[in-house]
Amino acid sequence: MLSYILKRLLLTVPTLSLVAVAVFLLIRLIPGDPALVLLGESADAASLAAMRADLGLDHPLPVQFLSWLQHALHGDLGRSIVSGEPVAALILQRFGLTAAVVLVAVTAATVIAASAGLIAAWRRNSAVDLAVVGAATVVLAIPSFWLGMVLLLLFGLKLGWLPFVGYIPFSESAVQAMLFLVMPVMTLTITESGVLTRMMRSSSIDVLQLDYVTHARAKGLSERAVLTRHVFPNAFAPTLTLVGLTLGHLLGGIAVIETVFTLPGLGRLMVDSVLARDYPVVQGCLLFTAVVYVVVNLVVDLCYPLFDPRVTAR
Amino acid sequence: MARSAHLAHVLGTLAVSGALALGLLAWQVAAATGAVLRARLKSDIVSTNPGTRRDENTDAVLLHIIEGLVASREDGSPGPMLASRWTVSADGRVYTFTLRSDVVFHNGAPLTAAEVIWSLQRYLNPQTRWRCLAEFGDHGIARVLSITAPDAHTVVITLDRAAPMFLTTLVRADCGGTGILHPDSVDADGNWRAPIGTGPFELGEWRHNQFIELHRFAHYSPLPGVRDGNAGGKHALVDHIRFLIIPDSSAARAALIRGSLDILDNLAASELIGIRGRPDIKFQQVPILDCYALLLQTRDPLLSDVRLRTAIALTIDTAGLTKAITWGTGTADNSPIPVASPFYGAAEAHIRQPDVAQARRLLRAAGYRGQPIQLVTSRRDPEMFDTAVVIQAMAAQAGIQLHIDLVDWPAHLSRYTVGNYQLMVQSFSARLDPALSFGIFIGDKREEPRKVWDTPHSRELLAQTMASAEPAARQPVFDALTREFLDEVPAVVLFNSSRLAAVRSNVTGYQNWTAAQQRLWGVGLN
Repeated sequence: MLSYILKRLLLTVPTLSLVAVAVFLLIRLIPGDPALVLLGESADAASLAAMRADLGLDHPLPVQFLSWLQHALHGDLGRSIVSGEPVAALILQRFGLTAAVVLVAVTAATVIAASAGLIAAWRRNSAVDLAVVGAATVVLAIPSFWLGMVLLLLFGLKLGWLPFVGYIPFSESAVQAMLFLVMPVMTLTITESGVLTRMMRSSSIDVLQLDYVTHARAKGLSERAVLTRHVFPNAFAPTLTLVGLTLGHLLGGIAVIETVFTLPGLGRLMVDSVLARDYPVVQGCLLFTAVVYVVVNLVVDLCYPLFDPRVTAR
Repeated sequence: MARSAHLAHVLGTLAVSGALALGLLAWQVAAATGAVLRARLKSDIVSTNPGTRRDENTDAVLLHIIEGLVASREDGSPGPMLASRWTVSADGRVYTFTLRSDVVFHNGAPLTAAEVIWSLQRYLNPQTRWRCLAEFGDHGIARVLSITAPDAHTVVITLDRAAPMFLTTLVRADCGGTGILHPDSVDADGNWRAPIGTGPFELGEWRHNQFIELHRFAHYSPLPGVRDGNAGGKHALVDHIRFLIIPDSSAARAALIRGSLDILDNLAASELIGIRGRPDIKFQQVPILDCYALLLQTRDPLLSDVRLRTAIALTIDTAGLTKAITWGTGTADNSPIPVASPFYGAAEAHIRQPDVAQARRLLRAAGYRGQPIQLVTSRRDPEMFDTAVVIQAMAAQAGIQLHIDLVDWPAHLSRYTVGNYQLMVQSFSARLDPALSFGIFIGDKREEPRKVWDTPHSRELLAQTMASAEPAARQPVFDALTREFLDEVPAVVLFNSSRLAAVRSNVTGYQNWTAAQQRLWGVGLN
């Protein structure tokens, strides 16, 4: 197991190296000058040149890249061009909020999807199945920003139950912070549960048709026991893969939801930074996202044997 | 197998606990917001260092904290602020400011000439990266030869030549109003810490991308009289101001309706839906000194022909476009001088009437054979993209093929700065002086490729507008510039917008002004 983990970790080195080169070059390929964004439309040439020199943008690209890489390897991702804050601190500060929303929402979506998908498969072609498949399809078709706005109008504006602007962090008031997070979590839970439900239902149907399930029933086991002991573990493994991919993708930022609910998370940081051509922050965010993706997928791979003993870490 | 059943049990328990927790939380009502005036910003401020790293939001917030020797009045002219009066020498080179004696900084230190000299010298130091430093360089309005203090309450600034635009430059919001700071605003190494100014509010907390909070400065001494632009009597009527960063317009409107926000300023016309007509919300519309324009690259092989440029201009129905784009809140204007300016006269009021037949004749004469022309725009303001679409449709009536090139704002800005476009829809923020409005367009393209009008005569006329501060002497020059601008078509100015704001009915004293800069002094809560 340990050698497997080490092997997987070593494999991340070339992946992250490629990501580092790609993010550095891609952001610079997009037209736009950070110095110009900072100084505005009527900046004179001398001020622009001075600002570029301040930001280190007057050096050749390879020099800029090597300097950034050298610092990144020591954990220093530089400072934001816009705010001057250390990028690493900025990312960690924003990631906490994004991670809280994503982890709760994906957990909730997984629980909903696992139960609904399993029941739909068990009651295949019944009204229950139709309802689950119908709901999952509708949820899949709904854009997250639209759902967010609807929830905001309903719970925030009409009913007035939940706040939706002026986020208060956990450090100030845990209750207030959680109240702010209810709607973003609901939005994300609903939007992510659709695809997970479809996957769970599909894999459960496959498993329900296998011989050992028939055998289990022939042994006289109750349906509950058949489903929980024999069907669920085997059907959940493919869904777990999808959960891993979803987690990796969402932990990189939920920009739309963060914008609708004015949450200062990683997604909004990344979008704002791209629009401001804040190179160090964009590079740092993308590199961080790549690391999260790799780690989440490694963890998911290591969880496989928990559900399907046929899969080993060899 | 038992392990997986256990896992399913755990997941189920988690689900039930989560649902219960969320349900309980949903019953709780948000805590009261307290006596804080809450206004919205679409994006965060850039820094707290005035006139350096800045944008319009930054300027507006910092002008609550800092004040200059002089400040712009509602009509754009400079008025007293930290200086109670000033004199100008007969040759126009020496400005003598008398400081008010009742002013203290936020740290309790009294205002003296020493802080004024320190602040001005800091701005003039290239290391500060003051945005307006170039105005005091070789190509600017004048060089500053010396700043001296004959006594603790007098400051003398000597320029190398007469500069009627000197005070107008000092009061510019993008120059940070040349705000006077206490030296403790920087650390021992000269690095920026926080602004210690003399304004009616002091900086409280800046939580990046969430809010900026200002606190009422208890020892502030307002000037007598009423609020007048950034000048006049500035009274802090609330204990705290909180600028909330709300990027999404729908969320901001919902927050205003809910009462989580008191003032929603700088609305796009299309965002008025759902706000207008509500009894608990007041609506405000003030014409401002900005402009939206179609820039034409006169160095482009095709567009270097004035006949083609005129043909494009003749396809545009300025009044119709303005009404459609601004939902009736803007004002059609073909002159760089905005309608709300005191210099807007008969010559400036001329609106070019659309004439598609004449446009076709000019196109034929210019040898235009349907070559596609790129029109660059972005969605920084909703109006910019909408304007491009309408212009495209109007030009098509005369057979002009415009292809819209939609880019994001940084790319747009980059192409504007280097002149990399054929046509471009661009908006320009409010300029208080008409010379600054013309200065957007006029200049030498070799040195400043962003300028669209670089004829020697236009540059000469622009220099004349800055040679005098007397409105009567300047007006004929502005009129001549306007006429030439309309004839040579380096750009087509289209309209001036209005600053739209929605405020809750319990807010008192909120008033926008032509500079389009949010002011929250003189604003209270019932």
